[in-house]
Amino acid sequence: MSTKTAQEAEGAATDEDVLALDLYREVSRIRALELLLNRYVKEHGFGGFWHPGLGQEAVQAGAVMALRREDYLFYAHRGLGYALVKGMAPEVLLGDLLGRVGGSVGGKGGGTVHFVDPELGVLGQGGTLGSNFVLGAGAATSIQILGEDRVVAVFFGDGAAARGTFHEAALQAAVWKLPIVWVCENNGWHLSAPFSAQSPTEDIADRAAAYGVPGVVVDGQDALAVRAATLDAVERARGGDGPSLVEAKTLRIRGHYEGDPQKYRDDIADGLEVPRDPLRILRERVPAAEADALDAAAAEEAEAALEKALAMPKGGPEVVTAGVWS
Amino acid sequence: MSIVAEVPEGVETERIGYAWAINHALAEEMRRDPRVWMMGQDIGKMGGVFGVTRGLFEEFGAARVRDTTINETFIVGGAAGAAMTGTIPVVELQFADFGLVAGDEIFHKLAKWRYMHGGKLGLPAVVRLPTGVVGGAGAEHSQSLEAMGMHVPGLKVVLPATPADAKGLLKTAIRDPNPVLFFEHKGMYRVKGEVPTSEDYLVPFGEAAVRRRGDAATLVATGLMVPRALEAAEKLAAEGTELEVIDPRTLVPLDMETIVASVERTGRALVVHEAVRTAGAGAEIAARIQEAAFFALDAPVWRLGALDTPIPQDPDLEQLVIPSTAQIESAARELLAL
Repeated sequence: MSTKTAQEAEGAATDEDVLALDLYREVSRIRALELLLNRYVKEHGFGGFWHPGLGQEAVQAGAVMALRREDYLFYAHRGLGYALVKGMAPEVLLGDLLGRVGGSVGGKGGGTVHFVDPELGVLGQGGTLGSNFVLGAGAATSIQILGEDRVVAVFFGDGAAARGTFHEAALQAAVWKLPIVWVCENNGWHLSAPFSAQSPTEDIADRAAAYGVPGVVVDGQDALAVRAATLDAVERARGGDGPSLVEAKTLRIRGHYEGDPQKYRDDIADGLEVPRDPLRILRERVPAAEADALDAAAAEEAEAALEKALAMPKGGPEVVTAGVWS
Repeated sequence: MSIVAEVPEGVETERIGYAWAINHALAEEMRRDPRVWMMGQDIGKMGGVFGVTRGLFEEFGAARVRDTTINETFIVGGAAGAAMTGTIPVVELQFADFGLVAGDEIFHKLAKWRYMHGGKLGLPAVVRLPTGVVGGAGAEHSQSLEAMGMHVPGLKVVLPATPADAKGLLKTAIRDPNPVLFFEHKGMYRVKGEVPTSEDYLVPFGEAAVRRRGDAATLVATGLMVPRALEAAEKLAAEGTELEVIDPRTLVPLDMETIVASVERTGRALVVHEAVRTAGAGAEIAARIQEAAFFALDAPVWRLGALDTPIPQDPDLEQLVIPSTAQIESAARELLAL
């Protein structure tokens, strides 16, 4: 459903109303799953750590909607919006988070996201944050060698932006004009450290200038703005002009992981309220009745997905040793 | 009892160096499969710091023979990303030691991403790692780190000891769907030998080579220690004592069958490698020998490896750290006397 929508959205780029509705649908779908997971973890817990993406839905939906089905996606660890909008089924994603064999990694999941679907270009997430930079640059090199029309999107947070891998990948990508879009979800927190305590400049986008590539700052709560900025970068990459960096300013509402007491933090209440809520911002662009209907459909989809995922068996010992070798 | 011919009779060969054999493997595989490409520092017009990739930039162009800057995390991590997306990267690190700079990329991305992602990602990548002492390269450019590859599941580990194996094993590595750490000995680049000219010459992984037949004791040696073990065996042969010399060629997979069968005949085993003795590949091989052939052993399994010290910068001193032919000979004599 969502992949089709993403493709349609590209064709309908001039029709802002249709686009707003498409984005609303995706943000609402992510939100419904985020709230469902928040509830599920509280009630049941699960093996591993859930890193919620509540409040960051507009970045994930807006940026991924700027991609085509065949484009590659290296997502970040916060939430499941990236993979959902790229076209993966919600029950498959929940299956991964709950360690079910019906998940995309066949029962090797559990807690932290490692969704994969090569057909949809969903290639994974590095447990060592920032490792996606070099992987993404390698995938983009493949694209260049094979003469393909694809683009690579690499998501990362403001914390991972500090990794040396960014420098190594960015320098080479800029020199080789690799088709990459770096999407920074700057949510203001490197786990317990405020971004301002670990960055000498206000914007990560400024760092792009060092590589001679565009770096833009965009409101990460405004899905339309994120989508537009990312599309510019995607088109530039697809046109052979090389990589760009899009920094979306957003906010981490919940803890680093669900259950994190966040004693290091006094800027938010421990609730589910999202300041500058991307859904509310999008609501100004879509008819209320349609927004209500999309919210209801999203909630229904999330509940049904959870039911399907819970019905899937968990993996046994056969899962443990499978897949080491090709 | 005799030295075993490395290349079967009737196979057309040419006498070339170890480095040139690697070069031929690269060129042949790049001609065979347009998905194969290379990157690394100075591998283009310069032909690599050791000259291994000479001529490949001219033949295959800048798109497939890519010079990088000093960015090992990209060289290896980029190889992983490229391998997942339809190409077959063969990347060169100037020194095997630099693999530690790309530790996350080797031991996490290459080794684990297929597993973590339910077997859905392919990782057909080769990392060429010039290994061992070369004469004055120093502590951070001379190590033998192959045991690290054995310790992390998901990586194949290859150590060619002859020009023919350098060609045949590299071609197999490039055609293998798994990530391969290819430890080519930089001190052996100029060693010449008969190398099959065929473009289909492949040396399979997991098949040890018996370099010399003997019945007195089994010497298991890798890399530069293979010619030294053979020299030591020659010395003893002059006195009528025949040592069997086995070169595993690949440590992952490891052909214990050939080693154990040999030890069951000889009753004695000495494992020799250039890597430091402590926690080297020899520890694993020795442990597996005693597990499988304990009752055939007439003596403990011995290991000979480098001293537990960094490699000194001075070319003369570095030879004092790694096993010499004389030390192998003397260890074999002591083992036989037990």
